[in-house]
Amino acid sequence: MSKPSVILFGKILHAYPEWQELSSLATLVEDTTKTNAELSAKFAPGGEYSSAVAIFHTHSAAAGSTINADLIASFPETLKYICHHGAGYDMIDVHAAAKRGIRVSNTPGSVDDATADVNMFLILSALRNFNQALVGLRRGEWNSTTPLAHDPELKTLGIIGMGGIGRALKKRAEAFDMKVIYHNRKPLSEELSGGAEYVSFDELLARADVLSLNLPLNAATKHIINKDAFAKMKDGVVITNTARGAVIDEAALVDALASGKVFSAGLDVFEEEPVIHPGLLANEKVTLLPHIGTHTLESRRKMELQVLKNLKSALTSGLLVDITPESAHLQK
Amino acid sequence: MSKPHVLLLGDITHAKAEWEALSDVATLSICDSGNREQFIKDLKGKYSDVVAVFRTFKSVGITGRIDAELIKEFPPTLKFVCHNGAGYDQIDVEPCSAAGIQISNCPSTVDDATADVNMMLILGALRNFNQAAVGLRRGEWNSTTPLANDPEGKLLGIVGMGGIGRAVKRRAEAFGMTVQYYNRRELSPELSAGAKYVSFDELLATSDVISLNLPLNANTRHTINKAAFDKMKDGVVIANTARGAVMDEAALVEALESGKVKSCGLDVFENEPTIHEGLLKNEKVMLLPHVGTLTYETQKKMEVQVIDNIRAAITSAKVNTLVPEQVAAGIF
Repeated sequence: MSKPSVILFGKILHAYPEWQELSSLATLVEDTTKTNAELSAKFAPGGEYSSAVAIFHTHSAAAGSTINADLIASFPETLKYICHHGAGYDMIDVHAAAKRGIRVSNTPGSVDDATADVNMFLILSALRNFNQALVGLRRGEWNSTTPLAHDPELKTLGIIGMGGIGRALKKRAEAFDMKVIYHNRKPLSEELSGGAEYVSFDELLARADVLSLNLPLNAATKHIINKDAFAKMKDGVVITNTARGAVIDEAALVDALASGKVFSAGLDVFEEEPVIHPGLLANEKVTLLPHIGTHTLESRRKMELQVLKNLKSALTSGLLVDITPESAHLQK
Repeated sequence: MSKPHVLLLGDITHAKAEWEALSDVATLSICDSGNREQFIKDLKGKYSDVVAVFRTFKSVGITGRIDAELIKEFPPTLKFVCHNGAGYDQIDVEPCSAAGIQISNCPSTVDDATADVNMMLILGALRNFNQAAVGLRRGEWNSTTPLANDPEGKLLGIVGMGGIGRAVKRRAEAFGMTVQYYNRRELSPELSAGAKYVSFDELLATSDVISLNLPLNANTRHTINKAAFDKMKDGVVIANTARGAVMDEAALVEALESGKVKSCGLDVFENEPTIHEGLLKNEKVMLLPHVGTLTYETQKKMEVQVIDNIRAAITSAKVNTLVPEQVAAGIF
């Protein structure tokens, strides 16, 4: 019997030898197709990928970076696993995949430290008027145009989404003497929450001096931070986002900054990235980073190894290690 | 008997009420001398009975450094110089001691805010945040941001394990760094809290990240010089929130160019506000305009600490926070 084939969408940069080791279990194919239409054709009966079993999926692929319902419809019956490189997998239609019995895994855990590091930097940067200081220095104004800022110590940090990244952030914030409250789909055990206070969404909005978005993007969470939410927040609140841009209504954020409701923001993600709302680009108080949450050699290697671990497990046992919640019912 | 005369050199912004409250034990004046020459004249005139001085970092613009030449002009009544700031290199300690003048500074109140900036600079340098922010603003998204490094698992070498150094350690450990330090003297286990005490040369040779947290004085000027850079690991990252002159800025620029130093984060410069051209041109480095303690909360704490030193001086003839050199000399 021939080996199952595994298709790589994008590139493996830090664990290539480990990828090649999978060739004992599967035929490895590195896809270089440029368009989704051409890609669909390859998955069709008689096409090159018509007996593919699994996909190593990265967002940097040319074709297939977004796996939508149309592409999924073209997949052969043999294709059962999409192993995604990344924590956020909103670019994969997991529900369409599940309807076809296709299970999706992501890479929780390996992203936690690097993302929480960026998140904590953005909190500090927003509170401390870092961007204004950097810009003022470069304009030859030294610190004369940098307004007095605020210390994080004793401020209340409200974490929305207390998964691995949210909990890693709590650990960092407490080293700066911040008090952490959180909202999550469900309260966590005392052990996991580490003493952070669980509150309702509205109570978090009302009490947070600093608000951090650490939740996944899906139909339920799109624009969870909207005009109504801003109205419930404290005056002068600081907002940070390392999750997905679309959990915040970006235009509403610009309005809230203009009114002073939001004192400052630190953002690594944007609704239409790489396009950024001009109101944010024009605002010197905000710290803007180009989605570099896990942009390190060490973390990227950890993530690639984690995808390979999921692939290997799928090939040898039929089970994914880090199956996403929406796929979990397919694997009991 | 009339109340002792206390003179304010510079501005008090946040603790005006506390300053005014000193009038129960002192007569308060605000220095209006326009320059050093006039100040010297006034020291023989209207300030000739001043007992204690509250001085700010910026007041050096009026009086010049508090050096032997100026101290010679002090009235014999002047016994206390209470400085608003942690670093007091604007004051020459020996001539003060010889004249029986106590100097106080602001330890501890500066620790958190300075360590916060220090940690931001370490993260910024390791994670290529400056390149990321600049690339974003140039419309390059993250395409021109090289993959960076995580702090987790890296060895941080702290040069100067005073209050700020220890506050940096606490924060760095929340980001998964291991900490070693060099200090004039080894600290007690309680104070060093698990950090390894090493020689200066060992710190240079083994640290992945080096943080400068030592005072500037005749002994520490250019502690980090070409010879020191030669002993460091290739690709080391350096952070400085102490004083620019503890590092030879021109040698730093060369070390950056050669790649010996991968990146650095600086809040202070040898001749601030002038910055070496080689640093301004380098997009890898994070440069801040000496904002270490520039927050509402910390500025207020510092002003109150100076006022408390003045009160202690007036009521008990001993300041609260005598500078280390004078404590060691045992003369007060």
